[in-house]
Amino acid sequence: MTVYDRLADLLARSFGLQRDEIEPDYTFAELELDSLALVELTLAAQDEFSVALSEDDLGAESTIAQAAKVIEAKVVEATAAA
Amino acid sequence: MTSARTPSVRTPSVRTRFDAAITGIGLVTAAGGSTAATWERLLAAEGTLCGPVPDLAPIPADLGCAVTGFDPVAAVGRRKAWRLDRSSQLALAAAAEALADAGLDPAGWQGARVGVVLGSGIGGAGTWERQHRVLLDQGPEKVSSLLIPMLAINMSAGYIAMEYGAQGPNFVTSTACASGTTAVGAARELLRSGACDVVITGGTEACLVPSIISGFSQMGALSRRRDEPARSSRPFDVDRDGFVPAEGAAVLVLERADDARARGARVHAHVSGYGASADAHNATAPDPDGRGAELAVRAALLDAGIAPDAVDHVNAHGTSTPLNDVAEARLIRRVLGARPAVTSVKGVLGHALGAAGAIEAAVTALSLEHQVIPPTANLDSPDPQIDVDLVRKAPRTGRVDVALSNSFGFGGQNAALVLTRA
Repeated sequence: MTVYDRLADLLARSFGLQRDEIEPDYTFAELELDSLALVELTLAAQDEFSVALSEDDLGAESTIAQAAKVIEAKVVEATAAA
Repeated sequence: MTSARTPSVRTPSVRTRFDAAITGIGLVTAAGGSTAATWERLLAAEGTLCGPVPDLAPIPADLGCAVTGFDPVAAVGRRKAWRLDRSSQLALAAAAEALADAGLDPAGWQGARVGVVLGSGIGGAGTWERQHRVLLDQGPEKVSSLLIPMLAINMSAGYIAMEYGAQGPNFVTSTACASGTTAVGAARELLRSGACDVVITGGTEACLVPSIISGFSQMGALSRRRDEPARSSRPFDVDRDGFVPAEGAAVLVLERADDARARGARVHAHVSGYGASADAHNATAPDPDGRGAELAVRAALLDAGIAPDAVDHVNAHGTSTPLNDVAEARLIRRVLGARPAVTSVKGVLGHALGAAGAIEAAVTALSLEHQVIPPTANLDSPDPQIDVDLVRKAPRTGRVDVALSNSFGFGGQNAALVLTRA
């Protein structure tokens, strides 16, 4: 499963969205996730992907696909370091 | 010649009676997610709607009247459900029913004239407990950013405002087990003063969580009749051994009686008087003769301009604790005489703490509307110390024009409402 799919599943599972309303080029703002929701998403994504994320990594104006790329890069970095 | 010392002339404050019309009712209780479900189970009064709450083991008093089958997503929508504490979810569900019942369309109202006043005793206890565990186990950086908006006791009223664009005065009253009654009284004042044209009022509570229930259990306040849960809450019965904690929410829509009449609204009943007082006696034990509570009852009657001997019915605080029920019965007998028919809905619904007064105000309104008083469940052998006309075994039908709804909170905080037939 790709990072994008796992991120979309996480949004559907814990943030009141339906899987079919999540598209790669939607921004978090377009999905009506406000600043506190993004803090929560950052915490949940850290657990889901076992990487450290800052609040800037999942910004309101970043798309789901962009966020997935940021996470993916961190996952690769963490794997290489291990 | 004028005296330097002006004699004090005490003019009794005379004001015309102010009726706030209850035009909408919403209830979410252990009996179900609607007013109709709650009323039906109250009239049947088959027993306490409770059982051991799994999360509460191994507390010796682990009984609770939980709202079972409540679906937060269905009640408040999936976009909101995940970020609201249960106490706010229950309040929003009750508000939705109450506004539909009132026939008011929030899209068409002038939001600045609509207030929200809820009562709550504890706040988002479940959230607090879960996040405190996160803090201890994983550290502060893992604590939810939603902790404060989920925990804070004022948030249920805030979320109702957001949902319906109610931009008038918005607050939560917290007077322990009297909170819901205090809220309804304060809501009526907002109508009387002219600050609001509509007030969404009531109460909410969801604290069947280990820390809170352990605290009540350690006080010896709770029933330990866990072998017979259906018989555990037994107000005024000689074998009562404490209250059974409950969760729930009630919302009432109040409007000035004239306004309600003008728009042709169906009115369940009027809130015609409100009184409040403090025992100034003890943190948790009531004044044994209910002398502090008497002040609230008398103030409510005075506010309504109704004589004590005109009260037909008392929807009692009736918690099923040894101390409350005797003190309250003495107060009723002393102030109102032998006439009123007395009941407590806590035999069926348990004690929903900060929501209880609002639930009971709603039920009292239904008694005035339908001219039926639900019986007190489990009242098999009335305590011989109690000398009032208790409604038991079956609903009582008969003329009910004036009713009193009492609530007495820890801290000695007392509140009473006089409701009248519309």
